[in-house]
Amino acid sequence: MADPELKSKVEELICANQVLLFMKGTPDAPRCGFSMRVVQVLDAIDVEYGAIDVLPALQPLREVTAELSDWQTFPQLYVNGELLGGADIVEEMYGSGELAEALGVEQPEAIAVPADSLPAQSPPLQIE
Amino acid sequence: MADLAELKTMIEAALPGAAVKVFDEDGAGQHLRAEVAAPQFAGLSRIDQHRLVKAAVKPRFDDGAIHALSVKTEVA
Repeated sequence: MADPELKSKVEELICANQVLLFMKGTPDAPRCGFSMRVVQVLDAIDVEYGAIDVLPALQPLREVTAELSDWQTFPQLYVNGELLGGADIVEEMYGSGELAEALGVEQPEAIAVPADSLPAQSPPLQIE
Repeated sequence: MADLAELKTMIEAALPGAAVKVFDEDGAGQHLRAEVAAPQFAGLSRIDQHRLVKAAVKPRFDDGAIHALSVKTEVA
């Protein structure tokens, strides 16, 4: 059973952030290859997003997302309050253009983003 | 240690009529990949398609036989 306080905090964050990534590490320093792949997609697609490092509270957060979304592995990308998927789904939807559509942005022409147009990174959110 | 044939059977049992392939990508059972084409996926979001596959093999996650399963789904 998930910690009710943590669960309501996570629910608040998912509501408050249109695009929210639960990941291992931070966007600047991902600590897992799957999390890094999702960060790369979000950067390429040039969307603002919040990021939460799950490592400091991995097991409690697993219990929360298992109850909220029936999903226990990270990364997890939430869009408009709903779990979109992990790395496999995010990459597949990016490749097909569905991700850009779900995020309401233009699909980038090329996979590579010019260095001078890299988006400013949203600061990682913290859970105490 | 992951039993690929058993995983395939578990997914096929949960999704009758599905075409299922299970691969061991690193040869050490640490990075498994399942490709599943099932008629039951029609009308479902990708995340719900993946939930069905993960639920089918959940006992092997729970007992620690597998740690990571990469999933690719399509509607059969």
